[in-house]
Amino acid sequence: MRIKTLEDLEKAREIGTRSLYPSKTKIMVGMATCGLAAGAQQVYDALLDEIDKRELDVSLGQVGCIGWCCREPLVDVLVPGKPRITYGEMTAQKVPEVLEALARDEIAKELAIGRLDGDENLIEGTRRSYLAGGTGTTNTIPLYKELDLFKNQLRIVLRNCGFIDPKSIDEYIARGGYLALYNALTSLSPEEVIDEVAKSGLRGRGGAGFPTGLKWKLTRQAQGDVKYVICNADEGDPGAYMDRSVLEGDPHSVIEGMIIGAYAIGATEGYIYVRAEYPLAVEILTTAIQQAEEYGFLGENIFGSGMDFRIHISKGAGAFVCGEETALMASIEGRTGEPRPRPPFPSQSGLWGKPTNINNVETWANVPVIIARGGDWYHQFGTERSGGTKIFSVVGNINNTGLVEVPIGTSLGNIVFDIGGGIPKGKKFKAAQLGGPSGGCIPKEHLNVPIDYTTLQELGAIMGSGGMVICDDDTCMVELARFFLNFVQEESCGKCVPCRVGTKVMLEVLTRITEGQGQEGDIEYLIELGEEIKRSSLCGLGQTAPNPVLSTIRYFRDEYEAHIRDKRCPAGVCQDLVYAPCQNECPAGQNVPAYVSFIGEGRFEEALEVILDRNPFPSVCGRVCDHPCEAKCRRSQIDDPVAIRELERFAADYMAAEGIPSAIYDRLRAETDGQKPKVAIVGAGPAGLSCAYFLARLGYRPTVFEKLPVAGGMLAVGIPEYRLPKDVLNREVEFIEKMGVEIRTGVSVGEDVTIPELYQRGHEAIFIGVGAHRGRKLNIPGENLDGVVDAVDFLRAVALSGHRMWVGHRVAVVGGGNAAIDVARTALRLGADEVTIVYRRTRNEMPAQRSEIEDAVAEGIKLELLVTPAQVISQNGAIKGLECLRMRLGEFDRSGRRRPEPVEDSRFRLDVDMVISAIGQIPDTTPLLNGLGLELDRDGTIKVDKDGRTTVPYIFAGGDAVTGPATVIQAIAAGERAAVAIDQYLSKNNSKVYLWRETKSPDTPFDPEAEPVPYGRLETTKLAPDERQSGFAEVEEVCTRKAAVQEALRCLRCDYREEQAAEVPAETGVLALAEA
Amino acid sequence: MINITIDGRKLQVPEGLTILEAARENGIEIPTLCYHEALEPYAACRLCVVELEREPKSQLVASCVYPCEEGAVVHTDSEMVRRSRRTTVELLMASSAHIPLIQELAAQMGIAEPRVRLESNDCILCGLCVRACKEIVGVSAISLVNRGVDKKVKPPFEIASRDCIGCSTCVFVCPTGAIKLEDIGEPKLVHHWASDFQVVQCRICGDHYLSPEPITDYERLFAEGA
Repeated sequence: MRIKTLEDLEKAREIGTRSLYPSKTKIMVGMATCGLAAGAQQVYDALLDEIDKRELDVSLGQVGCIGWCCREPLVDVLVPGKPRITYGEMTAQKVPEVLEALARDEIAKELAIGRLDGDENLIEGTRRSYLAGGTGTTNTIPLYKELDLFKNQLRIVLRNCGFIDPKSIDEYIARGGYLALYNALTSLSPEEVIDEVAKSGLRGRGGAGFPTGLKWKLTRQAQGDVKYVICNADEGDPGAYMDRSVLEGDPHSVIEGMIIGAYAIGATEGYIYVRAEYPLAVEILTTAIQQAEEYGFLGENIFGSGMDFRIHISKGAGAFVCGEETALMASIEGRTGEPRPRPPFPSQSGLWGKPTNINNVETWANVPVIIARGGDWYHQFGTERSGGTKIFSVVGNINNTGLVEVPIGTSLGNIVFDIGGGIPKGKKFKAAQLGGPSGGCIPKEHLNVPIDYTTLQELGAIMGSGGMVICDDDTCMVELARFFLNFVQEESCGKCVPCRVGTKVMLEVLTRITEGQGQEGDIEYLIELGEEIKRSSLCGLGQTAPNPVLSTIRYFRDEYEAHIRDKRCPAGVCQDLVYAPCQNECPAGQNVPAYVSFIGEGRFEEALEVILDRNPFPSVCGRVCDHPCEAKCRRSQIDDPVAIRELERFAADYMAAEGIPSAIYDRLRAETDGQKPKVAIVGAGPAGLSCAYFLARLGYRPTVFEKLPVAGGMLAVGIPEYRLPKDVLNREVEFIEKMGVEIRTGVSVGEDVTIPELYQRGHEAIFIGVGAHRGRKLNIPGENLDGVVDAVDFLRAVALSGHRMWVGHRVAVVGGGNAAIDVARTALRLGADEVTIVYRRTRNEMPAQRSEIEDAVAEGIKLELLVTPAQVISQNGAIKGLECLRMRLGEFDRSGRRRPEPVEDSRFRLDVDMVISAIGQIPDTTPLLNGLGLELDRDGTIKVDKDGRTTVPYIFAGGDAVTGPATVIQAIAAGERAAVAIDQYLSKNNSKVYLWRETKSPDTPFDPEAEPVPYGRLETTKLAPDERQSGFAEVEEVCTRKAAVQEALRCLRCDYREEQAAEVPAETGVLALAEA
Repeated sequence: MINITIDGRKLQVPEGLTILEAARENGIEIPTLCYHEALEPYAACRLCVVELEREPKSQLVASCVYPCEEGAVVHTDSEMVRRSRRTTVELLMASSAHIPLIQELAAQMGIAEPRVRLESNDCILCGLCVRACKEIVGVSAISLVNRGVDKKVKPPFEIASRDCIGCSTCVFVCPTGAIKLEDIGEPKLVHHWASDFQVVQCRICGDHYLSPEPITDYERLFAEGA
């Protein structure tokens, strides 16, 4: 059938409409490569079989990919008069369930993931309802536009993908296909076509973003009897597959775009350069071209307009560089795919020396819509300088992976969090790599940035083809840069020196950095070389190749420095630098695999000794540590992380009950020489006591001065007893004392004695670890009233009074951190009837530990989220309420979180009689530091180097007084670092080796070939919530010996290296398990 | 004629000249490695880069291919150009610091040692041999194969090419001595590309070799009066 007139087109449309929307049930399977890879062919075959077996009168069809990649394979069912239902993650086994539901005239609700009540014909601006003649829709399955992945999308290029059979030209025509071509050829001059495209603000979607209208105009104006148009379908960026999706799902949109372009430019031949690794795309394109020829859209005298045009397919052999236009043309011509210098530009001298216009798949697919709806219509989307939409393939560490088409100018945060659904497993967003190996990364500080060609360039990234790789905090940015550089280095054509040799040299430098062989000056060399490669290379590949390196250095330079200077990979990725991810992540560097595997062997004494080697507070940390180690545990890739904290507690509690053998003390003492200088420590918190402990192990006899009547600092007066019983804390304080530490409580340094006086009395070094014991102010009216209390003051008073404290009946706690939760749960235990936590962001953003929040909620504490206090209301001096404002989340701030903004006219009152503020603490260092001349940071914390040295040589500091409120384990680590620094200072020896810093694998057996044990993480026993409120009994019980051994065997032993294999004894952990 | 400013000198040059040609004709020296007057320019070594003033910022272009444009302002020895050339030479030194030609360039730029060393290689992939074989000899017996650092000059499938006529043009044009001839005893000679030839000695200088085949061709051509 040759189509010459609008009437002919109408006839084809009728055929297509009947096949798109038949009068009987239609089942469609998404069968693009992505669907096939997920098993769509088996699903299709099963459907074919079952339909046949059940003698169902349904039509079965194939469609392209709708872009919902994380739920493939997808099957859509369209029953006339009913909504179209999408079934996700289909398998052959699930097919009967869907068909049985269909036979019952029902939906298989368990499998259904989305519904559509109609679809839109974008070309003609019309909508077709599926519900006509039916009984209405169903509300049980969410509409596509209610789904995160789809609700903010605007699908112009992807208009037909997943809706039509890519091998049916009639279905394409039924959705307005080739109407734009008809209009262009019959009623627009070539110049008018170019004008519309220029007006649309369309820029090249291949990455460089050259204005498409201008490119067409230049090629049209070029002298030449023969001109060409080319479609660049050599999609090759790792992680980018939108072009493939369009070619496989809607090939005619590209062909129609090319014919319109050829008309505008005056070309008679076109080429689609598609990589041979896309066999399905090639097959579908071949069919589509044939069909277009049969219908007369390609060939001679198209639509009777006198225009002749043909399209050829040219298959690329997979060289990345052939995506570069001059290399691409060389490849079509049959020459080596090497770029050549420009000028001359292809618009002047391109394929076979003739004027040539190259656009990529996505650009061409936009053209029919622009011509059908007009450039102005198209340009209402996007930004002023860049109209329309862009498809991103969102991949990596993100919940909703898939193809996302959004208006240009949409913010990165919007794509990652709203459409992408955020980061899986509660991890944090670290950066997005845009534009593949030619692009750069964008860190969380810039989530707010509108994605546009120019803004991305300013940030050191590029739009590129639209690959968007999302990285969570488990990604090492140095390794990421190395990965991409390795890619371009292999794909460099090798013609010009900067690209060929330069990328190789950069790769060598990056490799040595990730292997722990980095040198000072490497970062500077990478920058210098990278800039030169960009400036000097011949083509776009080399001119962009250093981008991933330069942008990761720009935003994550500290990570490079950690690799080079500290031989540390902060993300725990680089194998040569990481003993095990848990150990790497622990601020104190505890040898987790060692003590876990000792527990697995029933060797509890050794387990405890391993812990004590880096941490004098195993019972404390076993209860209250925020366990960053568990967040990095690789076991979570199978099920859940090993309960590392619980195991630490078990080892400590078990050995405390057994009695710690005195031999441990001897073994922990590295030096027994008592002739060391005197050292004074100010503050008996975790930092001070840790510093004292490590000094004692080095043979010092340090004296700790504590202002309060008890030792332990925040552990004693900050953390409530239901989390950390006093006798548990005291047992560890006593242990430290036994190691040779003297603690003098009730001495306020700064008041009773000054630091210079201590120095004069022979304390040759002094460590300050005074904590952060002063609460931040709310800065709202009424906060100075009686009944408005600060969290740290409150908790301290509760602890020191032995839980004899007045609380209100209805208490409001302001804040979202651990202190807020501690205060709320304490207030409840002291008899408050109702406790409400007021927090200005959402629960997801609360800095408190997840488990703490869950426990608090279980105990009946209310969360008022997205609320901020505005004023404390009082009457006759008594508090009557807390006036609050509702908040909503606005734009992303530089912390990568959405900034809360007040909602207008949202004032409301919480009926409370006590308000406790828990919005943060600051160190209170007067009069302690008066006259010392110590340099402070702007927030009042003490300035130190990474080992705790202050600006006064004999004074060292660590813990909250340096960092602001932080975790126990960070304070312990700071104490250890300062102890080493003090020893180096006093012994005038910087090269001394500190034995506990050498992390060694344990001599426990491990079989790397064995399957990991199959069971899940241990569950701890907790006091029932109603039993908790009556007092301060510890909530969480220690696990049993058997449970601990079992749990320990879940460890995957990331510390294991092949070289160890010979040393493994025959015994296995199963023996210990049997004993337990 | 086209007006162009090179290193502050206002010049008038005929249309169609590259910047390199215009500069050399006017006595301005620009270093090159992959350029040869007798061959199509290739723009691969990037040693001939010059700074072209542009808005909003200058750019580096390969002078061997970049045409003289009306009103262009070009610098052949600016800081930007020198930095780029230094980098290029240092990169070439990574594999070829032992080549006298590279040593000479390094000395000119004051580079003692490259910061990173790669596997040693005599060939700098300037492509002169390949272009000479194609454009001058007209046989394309050798070409560049593979990509990136694996790129090398080879006959097809790395076996002796039947198209090679043993003319030694590649040997002659090679700037680094990477392409060699081996005398395996009169009157045979093995070519770098594993082709061996019966050769004849020049009757006058005694130095140069040529395989008998082209001699026959020449004799035929002379006889035909070409």
